[in-house]
Amino acid sequence: MAAYAARRLLATIPVLFFVSFVTFIMIRLAPGDPVLILLGGKRMSPEMIEQIRARYGLDGDPITQYVAWIGRVFQGDLGTSFKLKQDVTDLLLSRLPVTIELIVLSLLIAIAVAIPLGVYQARRRDRLGDYLGSLFALIGVSSPVYFTAILGVLVFSVWLGILPTFGRGTDGPLDELYHLILPSVALALGMIALTSRMTRSAMIEVLSSDFIEAARAKGLPDRTIIVKHGLRNALIPVLTVTSLQVGFLIVGSVLVETTLGLGGLGSLITDAIQNRDYPVVQASVLLLTVAFTLINLVTDLLYGVIDPRIRTT
Amino acid sequence: MSAATAARPSLRRRIGAAALVRNRAALIGLVILIPLLVAALVPGLLTQADPNAQDLTNSLAFPTWEHPLGTDKPGRDVLARVIYGAGPTLLGALIVVLVSGVIGIPLGLIAGFYGGKTDGIITRSMDALLAFPPLLLAILVVSTFGKGLETAALALGVVYVPAMARLVRSVTLVQRSQAWVDAGRALGYSDRRIIFRHILPNLVAAIVVQSTIDLAYAILDIAALSFLGLGQQPPDPDWGSMLADGRSYLLQNAIPALSAGLSIMLAVIAFNLVGDGLRAQLDPRERER
Repeated sequence: MAAYAARRLLATIPVLFFVSFVTFIMIRLAPGDPVLILLGGKRMSPEMIEQIRARYGLDGDPITQYVAWIGRVFQGDLGTSFKLKQDVTDLLLSRLPVTIELIVLSLLIAIAVAIPLGVYQARRRDRLGDYLGSLFALIGVSSPVYFTAILGVLVFSVWLGILPTFGRGTDGPLDELYHLILPSVALALGMIALTSRMTRSAMIEVLSSDFIEAARAKGLPDRTIIVKHGLRNALIPVLTVTSLQVGFLIVGSVLVETTLGLGGLGSLITDAIQNRDYPVVQASVLLLTVAFTLINLVTDLLYGVIDPRIRTT
Repeated sequence: MSAATAARPSLRRRIGAAALVRNRAALIGLVILIPLLVAALVPGLLTQADPNAQDLTNSLAFPTWEHPLGTDKPGRDVLARVIYGAGPTLLGALIVVLVSGVIGIPLGLIAGFYGGKTDGIITRSMDALLAFPPLLLAILVVSTFGKGLETAALALGVVYVPAMARLVRSVTLVQRSQAWVDAGRALGYSDRRIIFRHILPNLVAAIVVQSTIDLAYAILDIAALSFLGLGQQPPDPDWGSMLADGRSYLLQNAIPALSAGLSIMLAVIAFNLVGDGLRAQLDPRERER
């Protein structure tokens, strides 16, 4: 297992370099000199411009710039925001907690709802409950997350008045959690749909296998059969799909945060894009992509733990 | 294709009533698609109103006979904007799928057919592309090369390439080991002839299913980019940007936001239903479910 983990970890390193290079070079390909954007129309002497260029790491050819940049990234220095004139690392660190809370909460909600729903549907296969579940899944998959969030605001905040509309709570952790309910449920919906579908079909497949028949013949209680023999085996594909969907949650969080003004990393990215604040765009895309890559790595490793056959391939 | 057609009756018998329900779902999908396609192709047929005509004295009006869905902030007819908005959204999604097909299908065919080093390079590049969270890469590309529907659709198309290439590669791998490929070789056929005349036709079913489902996702993503202000630019109507506009005056009049959001949802549901139906009919792997 250790050898497998080491091999997977090593394979991730070139991917991370590739990703950081693309993120970096993409911004340099943009039409227009970043320094002019930075100056925002102010006139300055060529010497001053050169000075600014050097300060923001914009001098020399792209490869030199990249090497210098990645060197600073390793030291935790992500540059200075063009717009907010703030240290990007500090900026990211201050925005990160909201995004992580949002993603983790959605993930928990999604798993807590989707797996029981999928198991229920598998047991009631082709009956009313199953069809209603499938209809719910279809709507969940088809509703854009930003629309689900808006719909949630309309129903729960405006009409029923039980949840806050926009923004982040300021009155202690409980208030923050209260403000996160709507965004995380909205974000979870798509994942609930995909995961419950997956659980349903995996459960149907497992429940029709011989060893379940044998367990039934042995007279094991229904509960034991479903949970210990059924769900345990069905969880392998479900787990993979779920962790692949974490990427979907990362992207979704950007959209939900922008929609509901949560002020996390997602809002930071969309604001930075509007303002062409390249260091911020670069750093946040890099951060999310690295997170995404690492999550995929963990998934692979978990998969190896659950199914030993994977390790040898 | 012939194998899939031959499988149809036995398939229907196998899953019985469930197949009927599935087909009915696909039928519902097709029924939703018809007005959407009409709106996308000939919007003038469905409404007389001009989607860009402003009437500042009649801002955020609730539904009347003249404006069945009311008006938005600058007093434009919401129904007309929903109808005219179908075109850009569906066209954008279509471009996404076409781009992913034009790049992804040949890559998948080459990787699957030749194997070895070629396969290694292609598969690794696809994995590298998959290292980015999907929409994020598109956001990055569009914010670099300029906003607009075309850029957004092209960027998303590239993001969709790996999924298509992987699918085509895996099906090609199966096809390559079939007897008729050896037969073709023995007859001295060129690789190109074997790939395009003998392997590709057997992939059509899988590609059609994947493309239909991709269309559903592409609508969501194209609308998301527009929602973020990176897709279709104002004043032309588009569902994503309408939703973003509508959000800002949601508390005064929710109808514009709801109309745009429900339109996106219906379109996605329609393509999902049709895709699932096609898969049930064409994809032998799905038969058991």
